Amino acid sequence: MGTQIRVTVRLFASLRDAAGMDRVELRVPAGTPAGAVWGHLPDAVVDLGLPTTTRYAVNQEWTVPGATLRDGDEVALILPVSGG
Amino acid sequence: MAEHLTDSPLAAEAVLAGVGDPEHGGTACFLGTTRRESESREVVAIEYEAHRAMAEEEIVRIVSEAGDRFGGTMAAIHRVGRVEVGEPSVIVAASTPHRPEAFAACRFLIDGIKARAPIWKRIHYVDGNAEWIDGISESARGTAHINHGQSAAWG
Repeated sequence: MGTQIRVTVRLFASLRDAAGMDRVELRVPAGTPAGAVWGHLPDAVVDLGLPTTTRYAVNQEWTVPGATLRDGDEVALILPVSGG
Repeated sequence: MAEHLTDSPLAAEAVLAGVGDPEHGGTACFLGTTRRESESREVVAIEYEAHRAMAEEEIVRIVSEAGDRFGGTMAAIHRVGRVEVGEPSVIVAASTPHRPEAFAACRFLIDGIKARAPIWKRIHYVDGNAEWIDGISESARGTAHINHGQSAAWG
């Protein structure tokens, strides 16, 4: 088994409701991209299906799904927004 | 730096005071309020949730872009939490030397906030139901609500 890193995933709106919490701590393989954390989330979240237009932020900066995560990173899943 | 997100009720007067400038002859202000109707259903309130730090930063960027583009003084503030029907959820204002830029800046500010700021609304209906507007399909959400008791135990 390869090296694992710890990442925190921030959840909002429907995702937070489904998880019953606003952040999930994960251990994922080193080299995992931001866009791949989805598959490591609780089934109750994964069952919702992730909108294709979801955006990603790592450590509160916008990034791309392919951005490689590092140990201790915080990933935010930004569903299509609806403020205003 | 001004706060762009707040848990407290919004007041247009305070936002307008923030853009007042004797060199500017035009001031425009836009308020977005909770509407009683949504897709033929009666609404009692809208609840707003944000990624607060990122929403703050994004609105700072939008206000800065509006200032660069229209050349005046801009302000914007958005509610988080529950906003009852008829109450404002967002207020933007702009003062510029002449009126066309003030109107255009308000349009730019509100459109930018709606499209870019990580803020989500949950509509609360008069029948007691509520739904997030966040791109998650309604059928999936319905299942999630039914299972909410079990999924909450998941941590």
